[in-house]
Amino acid sequence: MNLTENQIERYSRHIILQDIGGVGQEKILNSKVLIIGTGGLGAPAALYLAAAGVGTIGLVDGDVVDISNLQRQVIHFTPDIGVLKVESAKAKINQINPDVIVKTYAEFFTADNALVILKDYDFVIDGTDNFPAKFLINDACVMAKKPFSHGGILRFAGQTLTHTPGHACYRCVFNSPPPANAVPTCSQAGVLGAIAGMLGTIQAAEALKFITGVGELLVDRMLIFDAKSMNFRTVKLKKNPSCPLCGDTPKITSLIDYEQAVCDLKKG
Amino acid sequence: MLTFYTNDTVLILEQDQLEEDIAEFIKGQIDPIRFKAIRVAHGVYEQRQRDTYMIRIRCAAGGITPRQLKKTAELADAYGSGEVHFTTRQEVQVHDVLIENIMNVIRGLNEVELSSRGGGGNTIRNILTSADSGVDPEDVFDVDPYAIELTTRLINEPDSWNLPRKFKIAFSNNSKDTAYTQATCLGYVAEIRNGQKGFRVYCAGGMGAKPMVGHLLLEWIPDTQAYHVARALKVMFDKNGNRRSKFSNRIKFLWKKLEQDEFVRLFKLEFDPIKDDASLNLVLPDLKNEAKSSNLAKNPAQGDDYELWEKRFVFDQKQAGLKSVKVPLRLGDLLREDADSLCDFLAEMGENNIRCDRAQNMRLRNIPEAYLGNLYHIIKNMKQSLVQYPPFLSNMINCTGAQTCKLGICLPRGLSDAICERLGKSDLRLDEISDFKVNMSGCPNTCGMHHVADLGFFGKIGRKEAEIYPSYNVMAGAHVGQDGLMLYAQRVDEIPSKHVPDFLYDFLSVWIEDKKDYAGNYQKFLDEKGKDLIKTLCEKYRFVPTYEEDPEMFHDWGRDRRMTMDDMGTAECSAGMFDMIDVDKKQIEEMIKTIETVENKKETLYKIIFHSSRMLLVTRGLESKTETQAIELFAKHFVTAGLVNDRFQDVLTLAKLDLKDELLKHQALILDLGQTVVDLYKNMDDSLRFKTEKTEEIPGQNGPVVKDFRGVQCPMNFVKTKLALETLKSGDKLEVLLDNGEPIENVPNSIAQEGHKVLHKNKQAEGHWSVLIEKV
Ligand code: HEM
Ligand code: SF4
Ligand SMILES: [Zn+2]
Repeated sequence: MNLTENQIERYSRHIILQDIGGVGQEKILNSKVLIIGTGGLGAPAALYLAAAGVGTIGLVDGDVVDISNLQRQVIHFTPDIGVLKVESAKAKINQINPDVIVKTYAEFFTADNALVILKDYDFVIDGTDNFPAKFLINDACVMAKKPFSHGGILRFAGQTLTHTPGHACYRCVFNSPPPANAVPTCSQAGVLGAIAGMLGTIQAAEALKFITGVGELLVDRMLIFDAKSMNFRTVKLKKNPSCPLCGDTPKITSLIDYEQAVCDLKKG
Repeated sequence: MLTFYTNDTVLILEQDQLEEDIAEFIKGQIDPIRFKAIRVAHGVYEQRQRDTYMIRIRCAAGGITPRQLKKTAELADAYGSGEVHFTTRQEVQVHDVLIENIMNVIRGLNEVELSSRGGGGNTIRNILTSADSGVDPEDVFDVDPYAIELTTRLINEPDSWNLPRKFKIAFSNNSKDTAYTQATCLGYVAEIRNGQKGFRVYCAGGMGAKPMVGHLLLEWIPDTQAYHVARALKVMFDKNGNRRSKFSNRIKFLWKKLEQDEFVRLFKLEFDPIKDDASLNLVLPDLKNEAKSSNLAKNPAQGDDYELWEKRFVFDQKQAGLKSVKVPLRLGDLLREDADSLCDFLAEMGENNIRCDRAQNMRLRNIPEAYLGNLYHIIKNMKQSLVQYPPFLSNMINCTGAQTCKLGICLPRGLSDAICERLGKSDLRLDEISDFKVNMSGCPNTCGMHHVADLGFFGKIGRKEAEIYPSYNVMAGAHVGQDGLMLYAQRVDEIPSKHVPDFLYDFLSVWIEDKKDYAGNYQKFLDEKGKDLIKTLCEKYRFVPTYEEDPEMFHDWGRDRRMTMDDMGTAECSAGMFDMIDVDKKQIEEMIKTIETVENKKETLYKIIFHSSRMLLVTRGLESKTETQAIELFAKHFVTAGLVNDRFQDVLTLAKLDLKDELLKHQALILDLGQTVVDLYKNMDDSLRFKTEKTEEIPGQNGPVVKDFRGVQCPMNFVKTKLALETLKSGDKLEVLLDNGEPIENVPNSIAQEGHKVLHKNKQAEGHWSVLIEKV
């Protein structure tokens, strides 16, 4: 047992949980989670994972904090406007929990850097806000055999699934990204800030479940919720034999950067 | 127009930035720690009073012109305390500046080419020289031009602003070493060899709470290489200094870490490639020590008082017909109106005529003999000075102490006034000991230079039972100058603050009597008689009554209320704490040693427990009002927290319940406790954390593993029980000791809910429970 007195107190509410205990907490402390996008989803996920004591948190984001982010990206504060999001987030994480090592990648996740960044992590959280990135993360994680949590939010709705190697991937369900500008992104359609919080914390919970091996992940299932009616439902998914990525005759063998809606390039 | 350094224009941009940062800080948009780093680099320090600052102004070679000083005084009057403070670092400071006025002062200083940039922070600090360099008949040569040009060169190099720690430089004009070159990071002592001007070079000295005497770095260099040495050492320090620790990153610590050979090797690595590059030579300013011709009417003075003044405060210069004059300041403070009258006169005499000295006094130079009368009248009419006293009193040095400094324990300013009062009006022949140095600091940090004093004092916390009172350590035996070998003063004893003036009176009357017999050799006097005298006198004044008997002993000089722990600022520099720890440590060690011979053994055992409990509380920011509370806090924050083994719980409980008779049965354990705490302290690193200490597991060789969780609250007792079980194999047994009440009601149930078997619960005679658990 290597927990210090301080850690025992700090994580006592985890340790008390029958399923976690000291052993589970040590797993958390030794784990490495990559969060791609430090925005609406990445922010709450990062806060909870930091508090939980995830040993290493990687943050990927090339953007700086904009005032329009503050309505939902709760890890950034007003004085951070203009600061790199990864730096702003890192500062908060350090304050929450000095146990956590934060690695920052002040760049966007692209076909070029994807596999290099991924390789050191146990679990990946997709906290991005656009389809090209989501497909890229899916493809990269499937190829690198990294488990990840997909999440998406729009207006009052959210959806999420967890992928682990050998199970349904995002492309098994959605073949390819919609054409640029065909589907509105948050910056055009709007989103209720709290939805981002709901979904981001679900993703954090999935990451912790994966790390500690507790419970059943959202694998081969997609959780969809609508906050207006507060209806939650899960849809069963199956690994799709004709998936262009993980199917029997895969067509995608290298990573692609899809064209991104023009406005997305500016606003995160 | 004469200036003692020139700043780059970049400075103005930096000031704009500072102005923005101040505005943001006021709005709460910059956190205080960040703001501190920004302002300190601009020489702006926070005082003990919130949102009140002092501003430190660079005066290279201690020099400032009448025009500059007058402006500084005007700013001090408009935005500060109305006084200019002369410091031991040969600079001037403006105190009591409210945050919204900081920029007014800084921009006002720009008008006269003065700057506070680099007054603090990790950079080249004010470069000091012997205060009489250039006018001293015993000058080897004038070192001021070197300090002036080196300052301008270094402060305009971008790589000077982010060194691992502050970098102090000093030049002495001869081997008397009045600039204390061996107590500084880099020191040059003027020495001519074969007709060539040059320097002996010392480095890696420094005072502070961990003083170190500097080492000879270079036997001798020609004066043309003065810059090359500074540059090389700066770069070497920049590359190798320790940036992680705030407290052990001065050059002196680097020397200690690397040791001589490696340090010198790394220095040479930087020095050798540049040392012959003549393009780097300093271009020295032509600093003249002369008076300009003036039409000012002469105002001659005569009579006994004038002659006494002249004898005390006027000195011959090496320039015929010119005089240097010491203006004895009270506590280093010069009032605005006094500054005005002095500066108006001095401006008539020239520009190069003011220096700050290391004893917080103002030195005037290049005064034509014919004008001494004018000066006499001005100084005599000063609203605030110590001109009526013998120079001994104005030569005393004191740091600002707890009056403005957050780290201060004592108030040396109050003490200094009290000493003036006590000695100035006494029958002591102080004129016979004008050069005697009494230096006082409010805490171990040496801002008052107690390490280089004939008698030094630094503030400590005195303890009387659970009460604290202001007290000073007494230091003696410093040895400066006489041919290279420097020694710092050593601690001899301690004395309550309130008795220091009487102590000084007693001590000095003996020294003044004996001075002739010892042919003025104070060192010899100290060795043969003085140190014993100090001890005897400290013994005489050691007794401290209780607060009820004499509250005065608990009020420091210059403070009308009693000292409290709250007076000690946050551990920005954690010194001061060590004193408190030391008190308990000494007690423990003493009592352990004498336990077999003491009269009242059970009381002594109890005291060991108490001191052991209290000793390290302060490292956790805890303070105990009573003995019982000390024991409780210790049990919680050290034993329960796992820093100290559980086996001491029993004796702590007995002591807490005041069952002193019982303690006799546990003598060995109690002595062990004392030793354990002392050892733990030895293991403390500089950041006051502990390197080791986890409770040892008690291996269950024959029986079950036993864990003592008495005193551990819910739910931490459950958490710890769970963790203990996790280390066992299925079927292994664990015995835990739990308190009565909530713990025994909850923990076994929670454990059972996790599936483990609670084999039995057993109430112990002492009232706690033993619970035996089998792991599933
Ligand atoms: C980390 C703790 C500190 C250390 C080790 C330290 C050390 C020193 C030393 C050694 C000197 C003078 C001797 C010399 O080198 O010429 C000095 C002077 C001075 N220090 Fe400090 N210092 C510390 C903290 C402070 C603080 C917190 C303040 C106030 C904000 C302060 C204010 C001063 C002043 C004003 C002087 C000039 C003395 C005077 O004439 O008033 N120091 N310090
Ligand atoms: S010696 Fe101590 S009390 Fe005096 S100014 Fe320095 S830090 Fe403050
Ligand atoms: Zn797929």
